[in-house]
Parts: sequence; structure tokens; C-alpha cells
Amino acid sequence: MQLYIDGCKQGNSQVMRPAFHERAGFFGYAGQELAVGTSFLFDWIDKNGPSPHIRPRFVSVDILDSIAAVRLEVDGWSGTLAGPTVRMSDIFTLLKTPNGWQIIQKAFHWHS
Amino acid sequence: MNGLHCPPRPALVSSLATATMSDRKAQRETLESWKQIAAYLKRSERTVRRWESREGLPVHRHGHQSQDTVFAHVDEIDRWMNHRTRPARPAAASTSSASQDTDDQAVANRPEAPNRYLAEHDAITCTIDCYIAGGRAGDSVLMRPAFHPEATMAGYCQGVEYSGSIQHLFDWIDANGPAPDIQPRFARIEIFETIAIVHLEVQGWSGKMAGADSRISEVFTLLKRAGEWKITQKTFHWHDV
Repeated sequence: MQLYIDGCKQGNSQVMRPAFHERAGFFGYAGQELAVGTSFLFDWIDKNGPSPHIRPRFVSVDILDSIAAVRLEVDGWSGTLAGPTVRMSDIFTLLKTPNGWQIIQKAFHWHS
Repeated sequence: MNGLHCPPRPALVSSLATATMSDRKAQRETLESWKQIAAYLKRSERTVRRWESREGLPVHRHGHQSQDTVFAHVDEIDRWMNHRTRPARPAAASTSSASQDTDDQAVANRPEAPNRYLAEHDAITCTIDCYIAGGRAGDSVLMRPAFHPEATMAGYCQGVEYSGSIQHLFDWIDANGPAPDIQPRFARIEIFETIAIVHLEVQGWSGKMAGADSRISEVFTLLKRAGEWKITQKTFHWHDV
């Protein structure tokens, strides 16, 4: 999860890519548009650029043997795409693979 | 709690699965629009759309076309009507002031959820019930309406990683066959505006793939899309005995 947050702060998707499973999913609405697929996320992060002052809060971390669900609230966004009032509610699901815990999906709700 | 979601119908569902094999061999008659589906069922288009979103009426969408380009197989519609799981809700104390379109008795008897959270909660449990109905029957056609077209799954079952398209699940369900004794329990439902997370604990999963009496912890994420809650991912932990 820290790789994801670091990637958001730096505006560099390369930083967060190792945290994601190769077949990870991504779902949510960006405004009225339905965004699907991690390529949308990685493009968005790179285009948004640095957002050094985001405040991530872990609302819950639930672990069920080989799977986990993480609720994250992130505000304090900045960058070329995110405005200062943006807040993101995220649900991450993770899978414990032989390579460690990997994000298998990010679903989000965008508060603007 | 039990009153909030559609009750299991195990006996009916297993006979349903038996019917599937012969139905698939027959030449399929299709309905090509909401209008035709509504006419066939002698209901309004609004009602049949609601049946699709809330009760899993098997309606298919043409790939790569607009959301509303739909079709349905008559044999699937007939099967669904014969074995339709009606929401078990107490009759409303007072007559609903809803529009005249409440030609569906089950809906007419359903009290309006007292607030928005409960309405969303009910809609989410019905989506999950649609998934469970398909699991009981061993028929993926019944559960497809519960899933977003681009849904994925992830988890390990008996040492094999099932990660990727939700089609893996549909193939597994069909290969597994009926699992009439599935007992689902909602461990957690959390809703955040347009996304939701459901933790389901399932016991008593049987069948050719599942074995005798398997237990699974499942975490679903859902997305509200055009007013309907669709599963975007099923993540699971299979408890090896």
C-alpha cells in the first residue's frame, strides 16, 4: 500500500506498479465517466504529476487468510488533474501471492 | 436480517439445473429488445428492467454496442419465471402510492426502504443473492446479471490461482454443478456512495469441483452503474479442510 501512496505523491506510476497484480482491476467514476482498467489509473497518476501533500488515512484493514480488504481515504490532492478539494474513497482488495501481498483491485469513489 | 434479502429456494433450484442441459440443445428463440421482452412477459418495460436489475432476469447485452442493446433467450426467461425467487418481505401496512406500474405483485408488497442507505443495502443483497442462486443451481447464466461485464476475480482454490476474467468463475460454476446446500452469511456490507464492499462467508458448497462441504470467505467489490449494483470483483479465500 505504501508503494501506491508514494506513487500518488510523486505522480509517477512506475513507483506504484509493483504493488499491483499483473491482472489487477480498477473501477470507479471520474466525474460522469466510468473509468475501468489499471492503465487508466497509471495514466492519470502520470498526467496529474506530483501531489506531495496528500493525506492517506487507513480506515480499515481486514485480512481473511489469503485475501485482504483495505479502506483508504485520501484528501489533500493537488496536481494538474486533481483539484484541492478532491477527496478519494478507495477500496483495495489484495491477494497474498508467492511474491507477497499484491493489490488485485482498486475501486474508488471520487468526491469533488 | 433474513427478511431483507431474497430467501434461498434450494429444492427448486436443483430441478432448474437439470432442465438446463436439455434446454441448451434446443433451437433458441430470442427476444431482441426490452419491448419484446416486456411483451413476452406481459409486463411494462419498466418492470422487466427492474426485474433484471433487482432479481436477475437473464437479459444479455450485445458486446461493443450501447448499454441498451439487449436480447434474451426465451428458454432462459421461462426458466427464470418458473423459479423466480420472490423477495420475502412483509406486506406494506398501508397502500403504496407508487405509480400504476406496480403490476408486479412482489414489488407492490415490498415496503419502501425507510432511507436511502437501506434501499442501497437491499439492492446490494439482491445482487449477491443472484450470485448465490447461480451457485446453488450450478448454472452461471443465472448469476451473470450480478456481474459487471469487465468484472474480475482473484484467489486460490485448492492450490490453483484463479486470477483474471470472471469467466473463470462462470466456467467453474458450470463444471461444479448444483450445490443445493450453500449457506451464505453476510459478514459485512459497507457502502460508500458509488462503491461497496461485501464480505460473505459461505458454507456447505458442494459439487464436482468443490467437494463435499467447502467453506469460502468471499470479498466482493461492487460499483453502482446506471442505478444498478454490479459486482466488479470477487476475491476469495478457499478454506482447505
